[in-house]
Amino acid sequence: MEANKEIEFNDWCVGCGDFGILRGMEAALRELKLDFTDAVLVSGIGCSGKLPHFVSGPISGVHTLHGRALAFALGIKLANPGLKVIVNAGDGDTFGIGVGHFVSAGRRNASIALVVHDNRVYGLTKGQASPTMPLGERTKSLPKPNINGPINPIALAISSGYTFVARSFAYDTSMTKELIKQAVTHRGMALVDVLQPCPTYNDINTNEWYRERIYALEDDPEVHNESETLAKMTQALKNAYIEEEKIPLGIFYKNELVPTYEERIKSNIPNYMENYPAMQKIEDNGLAITELDKLIDARTVI
Amino acid sequence: MRVRWLIGGAQGTGVDTAANVFGAAVARAGYYLFGSREYFSNIKGRHSYFNVVISDKVQFSIDSKVDILATFDAETIFQHFDDVTGYLIYDKAQEQTGIDKIRSLEFGIAKRQAAILEKAGLGITVADVIKYLSDKGVKAVPINYGPLMKDIINQLKIDPFVAERARNMICIGASFSLLCSNLDHLSGAIEQIFAGKQKFLELNKLAATAGTNAVTNAYSLKDIKASGRRAQLDGNTISALGKLYGGLRFQSYYPITPASDESTYIETNQLVAVKSEGEKQGVIVVQTEDELAAINSAVGASLTGARSATATSGPGFSLMNEGISWAGMNEVPVLVTYYMRGSPATGLPTRSGQSDLKLALNAGHGEFARIVIASGEHAEIFNDAITAMNLAELCQTPAVHIIEKTLANSYSIMDRESFFTDARIERGKIVYPEDPENYKRFEITPDGVSPRAFLGHAQMYYTGDEHDERGHIAEDPFNRTAMYEKRIKKLKQAENYLTEKQKANIIGTGSTVLLTWGSPKGAIIDAMELLKDDGIDIEMVQVRVFSPYPSELLKKTLAGKKQIVAVENNRNAQGAEIMTEQTGIMPTNYILKWNGRPMARDELADAIKDVVRNNTKMVVLNGGK
Repeated sequence: MEANKEIEFNDWCVGCGDFGILRGMEAALRELKLDFTDAVLVSGIGCSGKLPHFVSGPISGVHTLHGRALAFALGIKLANPGLKVIVNAGDGDTFGIGVGHFVSAGRRNASIALVVHDNRVYGLTKGQASPTMPLGERTKSLPKPNINGPINPIALAISSGYTFVARSFAYDTSMTKELIKQAVTHRGMALVDVLQPCPTYNDINTNEWYRERIYALEDDPEVHNESETLAKMTQALKNAYIEEEKIPLGIFYKNELVPTYEERIKSNIPNYMENYPAMQKIEDNGLAITELDKLIDARTVI
Repeated sequence: MRVRWLIGGAQGTGVDTAANVFGAAVARAGYYLFGSREYFSNIKGRHSYFNVVISDKVQFSIDSKVDILATFDAETIFQHFDDVTGYLIYDKAQEQTGIDKIRSLEFGIAKRQAAILEKAGLGITVADVIKYLSDKGVKAVPINYGPLMKDIINQLKIDPFVAERARNMICIGASFSLLCSNLDHLSGAIEQIFAGKQKFLELNKLAATAGTNAVTNAYSLKDIKASGRRAQLDGNTISALGKLYGGLRFQSYYPITPASDESTYIETNQLVAVKSEGEKQGVIVVQTEDELAAINSAVGASLTGARSATATSGPGFSLMNEGISWAGMNEVPVLVTYYMRGSPATGLPTRSGQSDLKLALNAGHGEFARIVIASGEHAEIFNDAITAMNLAELCQTPAVHIIEKTLANSYSIMDRESFFTDARIERGKIVYPEDPENYKRFEITPDGVSPRAFLGHAQMYYTGDEHDERGHIAEDPFNRTAMYEKRIKKLKQAENYLTEKQKANIIGTGSTVLLTWGSPKGAIIDAMELLKDDGIDIEMVQVRVFSPYPSELLKKTLAGKKQIVAVENNRNAQGAEIMTEQTGIMPTNYILKWNGRPMARDELADAIKDVVRNNTKMVVLNGGK
């Protein structure tokens, strides 16, 4: 019997929002003509973490640790800035256990696209409340109403320094694809927060619930010159806090005027983009070729 | 020949720079030096000191006793007076200062030191210390620091606050003049260290001259013609140099003592010259938000093919455990330079210790091949860093390189050739697959090592879950058995690669073996010289690699020995416990020290005598301040 080498068996629940994100991701990769030679999918832990294994097409995947996907992604990106690095992580992964990395990623503004699978629950551990679940909400999997207030991913991203901040809805695969494409081609740190139902554990924020509330943002989110920054941020934050009754989707904020981390490194290492760590030659026929004489001379006393 | 000098002062008063100048001057006279640095977890004000040994031969350790105690404050006198045997250089204006007035001196220490004076029927001032010392034949050398500083300020017309930083240089001048009459060495050292900083050069030269004029020569060290070129280096810098030479191109770190100096040194020198390449190469140094990001970004970087590492100490290493486990599962070569300090918790943040060996050996949940190397002296650090990176790549697994705080922060004058030798770089099985879409990152091979391609060069999958050859999640029990075995058996590559000398250093012969690892090696080597005079021959076995453990070598070496003495800077003799676990051999005696200070030659020699002559089961050392 021949194994199906093309695609791994997908074990997400029927109706899971992750399918929408997966289809959006596949289409985005296809349209951007990205494969393993120029892109890598990094993921965290949970249902969303399996996404790289399920993508059809020639791509590489790095399924990492809970909360740490952005840290792995940073190392990959900096050592090989030629790769497009796309991170998929859940809301618990990103805003719970990994929230420190989420904030720090904004400070750096490396060109990494982060796609958050935001379903307000920890699915793979049977539906505990995630950091995006509203205070007092009680899904069927919770023993008591949620006692914690929610993180606002859009507002947190903007205040952390993300330069592309967008929100999508998982079942709108065409919007999801479009926003992923923009995030991947954005120069700087990008967030696409994808709202998604969890059909198994979240019986409140369902497909119908979202459908009744979502609408497309119409404001121009982009900072075209630096003097607009504050106004665009304020507009984005205002839109970020329209919640529960009406949920805006689309790009909240975009600013490519902020230097990327790669550009900041380039100011210290002028040939960084032409000869980055992953491509540097460090030996010749097994002998070290780094020259230390000058460094040791500086410490030579006699 | 061994002259022992100790300089102390409040942190932030330039004790470091002073010791640096002194070291360079001593080197110019043709001598070697080993200097151990002690300090508090504090920015300014707490007592710090350098304990320095000068010799015509390379030295690896300090003594508890010192010949010259060089001071410019009262606390240093009170802390160390019971350790000086030759000269005390001190500030005349401090004579009436009492030990009870030194607020920064911990009460327990003050009480203990005061008791020494009280027992001799004396009071508790500096003047009483001088009386105490004079009865013991120690000569006091008073210096009028205040008036000398005033002269310098008037002469140079500079801000007294700026001038104050040169006070210690008076002390250096006095010290050097006691030792050596060729003062050109001192002025040469000052010119070298303050080159390009005219104001400080002038200031320090004046201060040093004020010091040299205040004392007369006593030790008459003769100039020695040095054979080759020598460098003054500390362990942090040597590790950084080794990593760079070994091809490190990505280093992540989160600030922690005593590890950060390595990373900041690499960042300062991040543009490295490379043979036969026109342009310099850039080494990425990232200060991450925490140690979780430090280890995991280094692991990520390694997936692209860059040699990657991080550096930390105990608390940070604890946080890195999960990342190390992931690297083990995903067969990622990554180096963690583990600067070991006093633990548990923050413990003694600026003091030394060997209590985390078992953590290094067991870091991360699960069973997988890992490399654990521990350096025992400065010259070893350079090559160990390269070997650790080579083994990480040969075995495709994480490596831990242990450097204790005492080695990290001590300085040696070293012959350049003693550490800076041609190094081979072994990158193991690297491939650029011809059929990249059908590449298997975790292909089962006879030796357990799969051909490794880098991200960007083939389609590949990594996951912390158990996985199949392609890297997809797989829970098949047969696959599990094969993959698990693969991750362990590849350690054989490291065993084959390492020479006996790299596995364990065996020095001397005798029926008593001192079994050690890491920094106690230095005190043992130096004590062995000393013990020859007592007719005691001992053998030292220094385990340099703990994983893979050199079991056969140790069994062979230890067979038929009368005494096997575990010598370690911890309470449980963890290195010996590993030996027992791996070989079934038990130590017979113990010499242990866990007070956060390094082993000193003299206290160790006394302990060895006790063990050899009386077969004392356990000696606990407590030297150092």
